[in-house]
Amino acid sequence: MDDQACPRCKTTKYRNPSLKLMVNVCGHTLCESCVDLLFLKGSGACPECMVPLRRNNFRVQLFEDPMVEKEVDIRRRILRDYNKREEDFGSLAEYNDYLEEIEDIVYNLCNNIEIIETNKRIEAYKRDNREVIQRNKTRVGRDEYALEEMLELEKVQEEARRKELDELETEHKKKKARDKQALIEELMYSGKDAAQIVTEFAEKAEKQREEEKQLPPPKPANEFSTGIKFGQTADSTLLPVPKSEEGPLFVYEPLVALSEGPVMPPTSEIVARGYIAHIRAETPQENAGGFTSTLACERALQEALQGLYYTATTGVAAGT
Amino acid sequence: MYPVSSQKRSWTFANEGQLMDFRVEQNNKYIESHEEEAQGRDLEEHFLTPTEERLLLKQYEIYLFDFCRRFDPPMPKCVVGTAFHYFKRFYLNNTPMDYHPKEILATCVFVACKVEEFNVSINQFVNNIKGDRNKATDIVLSNELLLIGQLNYYLTIHNPFRPIEGFLIDIKTRSNMQNPERLRPHIDSFIDSTFYTDACLLHTPSQIALAAVLHAASREQENLDSYVTDLLFVSARDKLPGLIDAVRKIRIMVKQYQQPDRDKVKAIEKKLDKCRNQANNPDSDLYKERLRRLYTDEDDMPAEDASFHIADVSSDTSAMNISQ
Repeated sequence: MDDQACPRCKTTKYRNPSLKLMVNVCGHTLCESCVDLLFLKGSGACPECMVPLRRNNFRVQLFEDPMVEKEVDIRRRILRDYNKREEDFGSLAEYNDYLEEIEDIVYNLCNNIEIIETNKRIEAYKRDNREVIQRNKTRVGRDEYALEEMLELEKVQEEARRKELDELETEHKKKKARDKQALIEELMYSGKDAAQIVTEFAEKAEKQREEEKQLPPPKPANEFSTGIKFGQTADSTLLPVPKSEEGPLFVYEPLVALSEGPVMPPTSEIVARGYIAHIRAETPQENAGGFTSTLACERALQEALQGLYYTATTGVAAGT
Repeated sequence: MYPVSSQKRSWTFANEGQLMDFRVEQNNKYIESHEEEAQGRDLEEHFLTPTEERLLLKQYEIYLFDFCRRFDPPMPKCVVGTAFHYFKRFYLNNTPMDYHPKEILATCVFVACKVEEFNVSINQFVNNIKGDRNKATDIVLSNELLLIGQLNYYLTIHNPFRPIEGFLIDIKTRSNMQNPERLRPHIDSFIDSTFYTDACLLHTPSQIALAAVLHAASREQENLDSYVTDLLFVSARDKLPGLIDAVRKIRIMVKQYQQPDRDKVKAIEKKLDKCRNQANNPDSDLYKERLRRLYTDEDDMPAEDASFHIADVSSDTSAMNISQ
């Protein structure tokens, strides 16, 4: 950090913590105040290499090594023209050669090797490929436009969310004030015990707070902040649940009631033959629960008839 | 469903002889294991004989019925029936010398209340008991699990009350008897007296119910024989002799029932106080000792130390009382 110093005024980051180093196309650094001083007119020469520079080409130095900064700059400039894509080439080898060429050019320009020749090369390339460059430029423009649009959308959403939160906050504040006012009024005009009123209000507030806590159910997020959807979607990629092997099918066997006694009259005859007349009719409440006097009647008859044929044959052990 | 119930499978017996065998066996077992307590005296003089046990239990069955009749709030009939079942079942596998019938009686009624969904709290329950209520609470609650265990957790009881309703409905519907409702008082009194017999351990609830209905009919100078033969058993005439036999036996049992002699019972109770299992007597030192051990074991405390401790404390407080 200490060696981050302006080469001209020798101010260091240590002495001036707000020191901002700027860099221009030549790759030499200057602090912000020196830039202001030297490029008052908008243009001037670099104090180190005397390259003419324009003021609005100065950028804040992002990398500690100014050479990296310079390379980034050059690379950006070169790529503006060398904007072909893989699709523009017949084979991968050609594309790789092309990329190699870009690297060569960037390296040359960075290290001041054959600058003039390299610049000529660039010019020639520009001339030869004007059409392709133009086309790719518009395409890049379109991509950028789409990206920008997305950013815009995100910004709008962010704005809306913040607004919502703000509204909630102000509403909350207002309510608090209102409650306070109500408490004071209550204390002033009501004849009740002051302590009681205070506790009452405190309880109410507590309750409301709890309610609020439960209130906002977080909207189930189905998007990452980048806009990529996740979670369950009606996606055809989901595999159906594999079916398990099925065993032998269940076969219903009707229950046979063991009666050990005379045969019950069938359910249909309980009413038809008048059994039902001799038992209390069900109340509407009982009927609502699904009970009917027919059931009770049948149960009594069943229990009366069950076990009438029983004769003790063999003994049993008590309680086993 | 009685035919598939545990009552039929495990708690309905062939004949009275079988019941007697169980009781004698329990009596013998107890005497064998507590022989040394007689201290050389005649065993029959020290311990209760099976006959004496029967007399004692009969007396307590009367107490049980009275307790249920006086119970406040009034108790449904099925609770009484269930309590009697429990009481009889319990003393098939136990002897009154081991567990005093006084305690088991209350426990039976308490469990019956629960099983028959007659909702009373333990406090409400002990309000019906004379004497020390806290002690009664302790006894009932501590015996509850014992009782349920001795019943082998078969708690569902098929009482003859619903079959009676069934027969009355059937008689009203199918026979031409005039006003069958007048049978009711006789039926109820007959069922009450079957409680004092072993009928519920020997016959199915529907047979007892039919016996009660037939008995009531004969009291009202009605004859329901044609109802039984021509309507009930019309399709199974071969089963009729079995039923007639059962009904006859039930009616004989009720008829032959004799209340135990009060003086005899008093003598038996005195005898019981001496020969009863002191480990199960809540008033005995042995019982208290056992309880204390139970608790001290839980706390992992040496028993001797604890007893000293208690003695020390009591002497201290008495000394303080004097000085004050």
